[in-house]
Amino acid sequence: MKKDILRLGITLALFAAGACVALAFVYTITGPKIAGLESEQLAASLKDLFPDADSFPAIEPGIASSDTSVVLDKSYKALRGTDILGVAIKAVGKSYGGAASMLIGVRTDKHIAGARILTLSDTPGLGANAVNPAYFVNKSSKTTFIGQFTDKAVSDPFVVKQDVIAISASTITSKSLTNIMKKASDAGAAWLDANVAGGVQ
Amino acid sequence: MKRLLNILLKGIITENPLLMLMIGLCSALAVTTTVANGIGMGLAMTFVNVFAELVISLFRKLIPNDARIPIFIIVIAAFTTIVDLSMKAYFPALSKSMGVFIPLIVVNCIIMGRVEAFAYKQPPLDAIFDGIGMGLGYTWVLIGIAAVRELLGAGTIAGIQIMPSSFQPILFFTFPPGGFIVFALFISLNIWLNKLKTASAAAKEAA
Repeated sequence: MKKDILRLGITLALFAAGACVALAFVYTITGPKIAGLESEQLAASLKDLFPDADSFPAIEPGIASSDTSVVLDKSYKALRGTDILGVAIKAVGKSYGGAASMLIGVRTDKHIAGARILTLSDTPGLGANAVNPAYFVNKSSKTTFIGQFTDKAVSDPFVVKQDVIAISASTITSKSLTNIMKKASDAGAAWLDANVAGGVQ
Repeated sequence: MKRLLNILLKGIITENPLLMLMIGLCSALAVTTTVANGIGMGLAMTFVNVFAELVISLFRKLIPNDARIPIFIIVIAAFTTIVDLSMKAYFPALSKSMGVFIPLIVVNCIIMGRVEAFAYKQPPLDAIFDGIGMGLGYTWVLIGIAAVRELLGAGTIAGIQIMPSSFQPILFFTFPPGGFIVFALFISLNIWLNKLKTASAAAKEAA
C-alpha cells in the first residue's frame, strides 16, 4: 500500500511537471505578445480620447480615489506641446462578471472627452453588450452605452435610468460601469482644478 | 478506414455529445447567445478535446488506474491554458467576447467523459478521430442553437442584420430560459430524425 502511494504520487508529479514545461514554453511565446497588445490598445485608446494631444505622460504619483469601490490604476496627462488638454484615468472597479477596467478622459472644461472599456468579463449578449460597438442604447441616434458619456458634464448626477440609459437586462453592469465613470471623472476634474491654472483649451 | 469514419460520424450525429449523450450542457447554453461565440467556443473546445484525447491515449499504459482522474485534469487544464493564452495573443477580440468561458473548458464534461470512456482505452489514431468527431458534434449544435437565438433575440446572424429593421428583437431568446427552449427543440428534432432513420432502416429490412 505504501509503495503504491509513492508510485501514484511520482507519476502524478511527472505529468504535472510535463504540463508545466509545456505551459512555460507557450507562455514565453505569447506573454510578450499579450503585454504588447495591451499597451498598444492603451495608446490607441488614449489617442482616440484626445485626438489633438501629442503626448501622454503618466501622472506620478497617481491620483487617489475618493471611494474604495473604484481603484484609479494609472492616470495620464493629455498634452499638446506643454498645454494640458485633459486627463485620462484608467479605473478598475467591480462589475457583474468580476473586475472591469475603463479608460476615462476628462477635458479641462470638466466635460468627459470619452470613455473606453479595456477589460470586462460579462455575459455575452447581455452585459458584454457594453463593449459591443453594434449595440445601441439609443437606436435612433446610434449611441452605444459607452458613447452616451461623451461630452457629458462631470457635474451631472450619473444615475442609471435618469441621465444614463441602461443596457437592456443588464442593470448591474450598467450601474457598475456608470459608478466607475463617475468616481474616475470626479477625481479627474479635481486633479484638473488643482493643476491647471485658468482654462487652457 | 471505414472504422475511423464511423468513429468520426458517431460524435457528429449518432452519439452527439449534446443531443444524445447530454453532456457539456452548461457551456452550450451559456455561450450560444451569438453565432461568433458559438464558433469560437466550439473550435477552442475541439482543439482541447483532440489534444487531450491524443495525449491520454499515447500515455494510457503509463497512467495508473487509481490516479487517472487527476492526470486527466492536468492534461486538459494544460491544453485549455494554451488555448486561452494563444487566443489572448492572436485573437484578442474573440477572447474578450468569450470572457469567462474559455477557462471553463477545463470542466467541460464532454472532454472528461471522452477521455475517460474512450481515449483511456483506445489507440491514438482512434482517439484523434473521436476527438474531432465529438468536437465537431459539439460545434455544429452550438452554431445551430446560437443561430436561432441570435436571429430571434437580436435580429442578426454573426453580427449581420438579417431581420427587417421593423423587427422587434425577442430578448427572451438571449436569456437562459430561451436557451433552454431552443436547446430542447434541437434535442427533439434529433430524436425525430433518429426515429425516421430507424423506421426507414426497418422498412428496408422488411422489403
